[in-house]
Amino acid sequence: MIASIKAEWRKLRFRPAFSVSAGLIAGITVLFYSLNWYQALHPGARDRGGVVSILTLFPDQFVNNVMGAAFPIGAAIAIVLGAIYAGSEFSWGTLKTTFTQRPGRLSVWTGRAVMFIFWMGMLAMVLFAAGAVMSVVVASFQGHAITWPAIGDISKGFGAIWLAFTVEGAIGLALGVLIRQSAAALGAGLIYILAVELIAVRFIDSINNGAYQWIGNLFVGQNVNALSQSFTSPAFGRTVAPAIGAEQAVLVLIAYGVGLMIVAAVLLRQRDVT
Amino acid sequence: MTVVETSGLTKRYGNGVLAVDSVEMSVRRGEVYGFLGPNGAGKTTTLRMLVGLIRPSSGTATVAGHPPGDPSGLAKIGSLVEAPGFYPYLSGRENLKVVADYASISHKRVEEVLDIVELTSRAGRKFGSYSTGMKQRLGVAAALLKDPELLILDEPTSGLDPQGMAEMRKLIKDIGQGNRTVLLSSHLLPEVEQICDRVGVIRSGKLVTQSTVQELLGEEGVLVTAQPVDRAFELLKTMFGVAAVSRQNGSIRLQTDPAGSLEINTRLMAAGIGVSELRPIERSLEEAFFQLTGEKQGS
Repeated sequence: MIASIKAEWRKLRFRPAFSVSAGLIAGITVLFYSLNWYQALHPGARDRGGVVSILTLFPDQFVNNVMGAAFPIGAAIAIVLGAIYAGSEFSWGTLKTTFTQRPGRLSVWTGRAVMFIFWMGMLAMVLFAAGAVMSVVVASFQGHAITWPAIGDISKGFGAIWLAFTVEGAIGLALGVLIRQSAAALGAGLIYILAVELIAVRFIDSINNGAYQWIGNLFVGQNVNALSQSFTSPAFGRTVAPAIGAEQAVLVLIAYGVGLMIVAAVLLRQRDVT
Repeated sequence: MTVVETSGLTKRYGNGVLAVDSVEMSVRRGEVYGFLGPNGAGKTTTLRMLVGLIRPSSGTATVAGHPPGDPSGLAKIGSLVEAPGFYPYLSGRENLKVVADYASISHKRVEEVLDIVELTSRAGRKFGSYSTGMKQRLGVAAALLKDPELLILDEPTSGLDPQGMAEMRKLIKDIGQGNRTVLLSSHLLPEVEQICDRVGVIRSGKLVTQSTVQELLGEEGVLVTAQPVDRAFELLKTMFGVAAVSRQNGSIRLQTDPAGSLEINTRLMAAGIGVSELRPIERSLEEAFFQLTGEKQGS
């Protein structure tokens, strides 16, 4: 497996999608902070929920602030990356090259999964770094003291966003292996997470006065949202308590991540490479 | 000693198509084995089964002493099956390093194989910018990385221009020297005739013959065109025996060593028989191939 991880790392570090996605995450974070900063200083659309407190943009709140990237922007980026990471191996014919080397198929897949999880961790790190830098910029311009969240809160937040990215990316990975190409896999993944799941949850919630809401609470997006919403503070004003507890969301997301990786591994192991 | 041995190897796809039907193939250590067959005959499917990319529906295979796809066996096999598959955003050299990492091979070997396929000067360019010939060369280089006991090459000259084909032919000849076993699938019959020790011909999924190139080409002989033909026929029967002489389109076919042509000519002339043609009979591999596969020449 070490050989597979080594090979995957060599592939990944030169892969344009790796640097582009990191740049995209950083750029979106900068844009998010900039727009919110402007909005905080120029309040004007209170009736449309446009109120942003400047207090949320300072370093002590940066973890809570960047958690908003988990869904839907983070989900979209992670699914696209997962789909192209798995699907392109089929379209480039590189799967047969790797499968005819020494490691077995499961070893190749394990190496690939490990590097993908690492990649998602790097994206989470870029998101946190960009958020931290922007919060310092805002605080410096506003003459506010720079104080950081507790290291435990930073670690929890980082872990939560890493988990969210990984599980969302695993949807793309599994679809890439199932469909055996990138474009259709990322299309299917995006449609599912941004449309199908939302419609399905709304429908399930409406049945019999919410009697089956627990089923809706098992969907990926709901759990990612609940996990990110659990990171909040009074600076963000009154927020609605999430329907799913953070601990439950973590467990459900881990189950999804492991399950999707296993499904993809079984498909890769059993199917012919044509 | 055999390096590849199959028994009843069969592949039937889910849609019912029987791609490979009970193939009994045997490739001996150190030989260059040509695997011939028309398009869609089942060559690539067979090779994919041998390297473990496709699972057989029934039958067994042993490749380099192991079942297909077994990591211990794969460590001894280098393969290029159909088009070479590499990462377009990586250079040729980096692609080989990725393959070397998977195979747990030192990166020093990368430079050696680049040198063998004469791609060192262009190894820094991205694979996506390579010509077809360069891609094929890189594929062969990747197959050579493990310094394999068995090299499986599927249509390595596919898509190459005449110069590229000539270069690839030379490369395969060089690679096939020594103790290495090469299993080569190709459409280029004259090349197979030049390079291969033995050939297997597959048609509609079945291996219709497996023999040395010489056996496939048939026994050597001499074709004689002479007048009067009846007198010539009688004389030659007395010289070589009834079984060795036959008529063929107004000429006479002799099963004998062409080295005796001078004596044949002298005896016929001495008997007052005019000889207008006297030449060795050579059935090309192409003729044998078309005969075995039922394909029409020039079609």
